[in-house]
Amino acid sequence: MRRRRLTVLALLLSAVITLLVGVPARAQDQPVRGGTIVVAIVADPGHLNPAITTSGATHAASELIYNGLLGRDERGDPVPELAESWQVEQGGAVYRFRLRDGVKWHDGKPFTAADVKFTFEEVLLKFHARTRASMGSLLAAVEAPDDRTVIFRFKQPYAPLLYQLEATEAPIIARHLYQGSDPQTNPANGNPIGTGPFEFVSYTKGTEIRLARNPAYFKPGLPYPDALVMRIIPDLSVQVLALENGEADFLWELPGPLLSRIKSDTRFQTARTGYHPGGSNCIMTMSFNLERPILKEVRVRQAIAHALDRQAFLSQILFGEGKVATAPISSEISWAHAAGLALPRSDRAEAERLLEGVGWKKEGEGPRTARGVPGVPDGTRLSIDFLHFPAFAKYGELVRQQLGTVGISVVLRPLEPAVFAPTVFKDRNFDSNVISYCNGPDPEIGVRRMYHSSQIGPAPFTNAAAYRNPRVDALFDDASRTVEREKRSRLYRQIQEIVVQDVPYYWLVETVNTRAWTARCSGFRAWTGLFAEGAFCRR
Amino acid sequence: MAGLLVLNFCIIHLAPGDPAIALGGEHGDAAYYASLRSRFGLDRPLPEQLLTYVSNVLHGDLGTSFVHGRSVTRVIAERVPATLLLVGTALVLSSVAGVALGILAAGFRRRSVGVTLNVAALLGYATPLFWLGQIALLAPAVGTGLFPVQGMTDARHPQTGLAHLADVLHHLVLPAVVLAINELALTMRLVRTGLLEALGADYVRAARAKGLPEALVVRHALRNVMLPVLTVIGSRAGMFLSGAVLVEVVFAWPGLGRLLLSSLLSRDYPVLLGMFLIMSVGVVLANLITDLTYARLDPRIHYQ
Repeated sequence: MRRRRLTVLALLLSAVITLLVGVPARAQDQPVRGGTIVVAIVADPGHLNPAITTSGATHAASELIYNGLLGRDERGDPVPELAESWQVEQGGAVYRFRLRDGVKWHDGKPFTAADVKFTFEEVLLKFHARTRASMGSLLAAVEAPDDRTVIFRFKQPYAPLLYQLEATEAPIIARHLYQGSDPQTNPANGNPIGTGPFEFVSYTKGTEIRLARNPAYFKPGLPYPDALVMRIIPDLSVQVLALENGEADFLWELPGPLLSRIKSDTRFQTARTGYHPGGSNCIMTMSFNLERPILKEVRVRQAIAHALDRQAFLSQILFGEGKVATAPISSEISWAHAAGLALPRSDRAEAERLLEGVGWKKEGEGPRTARGVPGVPDGTRLSIDFLHFPAFAKYGELVRQQLGTVGISVVLRPLEPAVFAPTVFKDRNFDSNVISYCNGPDPEIGVRRMYHSSQIGPAPFTNAAAYRNPRVDALFDDASRTVEREKRSRLYRQIQEIVVQDVPYYWLVETVNTRAWTARCSGFRAWTGLFAEGAFCRR
Repeated sequence: MAGLLVLNFCIIHLAPGDPAIALGGEHGDAAYYASLRSRFGLDRPLPEQLLTYVSNVLHGDLGTSFVHGRSVTRVIAERVPATLLLVGTALVLSSVAGVALGILAAGFRRRSVGVTLNVAALLGYATPLFWLGQIALLAPAVGTGLFPVQGMTDARHPQTGLAHLADVLHHLVLPAVVLAINELALTMRLVRTGLLEALGADYVRAARAKGLPEALVVRHALRNVMLPVLTVIGSRAGMFLSGAVLVEVVFAWPGLGRLLLSSLLSRDYPVLLGMFLIMSVGVVLANLITDLTYARLDPRIHYQ
């Protein structure tokens, strides 16, 4: 009898516990309408037209106001947005899109195919650096035969188009506001009208951008909050304090030293993503200036690669957030990333053997000395400079420390981005450097520029190494004309096998961005610029 | 004035960097960056750019911001109130509290209060602003939640009228105190030292011998001490502005300091030149006000 009572009591207790735990769990999943979400951004965007710039500051602050023809899902694959369906014709030379019916601009005017045609022809192909550089010379025409059909005609098959149509790469802006004006000075850049989930309310320079729910958004029921505020907080540590103090709800990124503090705190949620409005799927890459006599010899570059312990970069600089690169193309572009490549492993003895073989001899303390190195006068000390953004100073310190152990002296030259770019790409005044090369959603956008010989200077963040290999050029050209993914994958694998042998660069670590938000909120999508389209917060 | 304009222009253009790259971002082709340079007139010879700039400024036109796409005068004017409020509050706070604590430290120089104040002033003067800013931020964030750590207003609940004023003052507390600390410590030490010296002077001994109350004696001495103190406060207006850059960045205060830093990083030459001009004029004005105040404090000084 007593045992039965105990059993009943236990059952009752477990039922109560289940109810107590279960109710909040269900409530947590249930979207809540209303309220204000505060998002911290690092920089004043200046204007809010993402179609005329690739600036991360403008894109982070404005993409929620706009839409692209397509969006992207968590795996990076295209999903319907302003276009509800699409067809690929003539082996990838023609793309036909069917637009959604009934989409309206925030000012009530109807969105039509003419807006898409205008945006591409008059704005994106002239002012959006990535879209212009990747498809500008290949796009023959954009046609709008009726209000709901858009046709892209290319001069040759063009593979990556479907990965370039989200709001980050190709936001659609309103023709009726921009036609006949200079898109760079149009007042609508400061008072934007889009089709996106949030409408522009106000922009207080240096303080915040206020957005309100778009009640006529074409995705029924979305978005949930009444308002969204982009609060400008330049210091990442202060952003974290604002999150902890309840003054901000969502952060785009967390500073490395504070990662573990936020991740271990149950008041917050985090998510890792390779996406960033300023550039996705980035690899911290050491570039070698192949025009410099010391670095012309492939064995010296291989020796440098062997001397570097990339695991130390991951743990000491990124605090474990990211991964050691295993191929020249980011693993986030899984179909193009070549698995199983033999990148130079960390091996100091092998590095020393290679340097000795070239003629860089150890003569007492300090850097090695040239004795019979081709193109280098005897007696020259093995010393290279290393350029980096001030924010990447730790990469410089590790490179100097690790290369010093094999007798290579490294002189660090920190340069601001606005100075770094012309020094490296225009003046070519450097031996080595570190660059965060962002591969983008497709190798055609962010990888080709690093290796194709047509991409050598002066445009910034192109082929820093000045790498020339006709076979690699031909493979890239072939890949850009090939639409079938399997075939492209094979071509990119061949490219990666060649460049791993040539080592024009050394691929250090793949970086990721860690978003953080208060656990009161749910529904954030870290992998897209429309990150708060389905977000909501409990009060 | 013309010399100032030319000097500022040369300093900015001598610094390396390319605004077209800062503006255009990466991935552009050469023609794209060339079009940006042409749009902003950066492809013209430097002497021609200088002449155009000087001529425009003399006609009251500070140019158009590369980044903001609006008139520099407007971009700067929007930020002036926030910085004036921050610097003004910090200036008043450091001067009033500095003088009061200086008197206290002098009066109790041999007691624990005086010694504590003196040590605190030494520490306050030696502590870098950015470190002090971080510490001041940490305290409310780790528990008390008494003060907001960023911005000038509450992003979630925008207010109007008196509630807005109270909200701004609430946000002002931490940045103003952090900005004031260094100057407060300096002022306090100056007042303390000056007062100790003055209180040993013959005219003070005579006043005491005449039976004047001690408060009146201190007032007489303080009038003489204030001359060097005012000189220092006036001459450090520039320091306040440079301190404001740090404090505004740490506390996300939307003033001129943050505009200066972001314009520097993006090589927004027109805004930078405009700010240099305004800051130069600000420092000159501060010195002028200091000189005029001398005459009020010291009857021996007359300006003709």
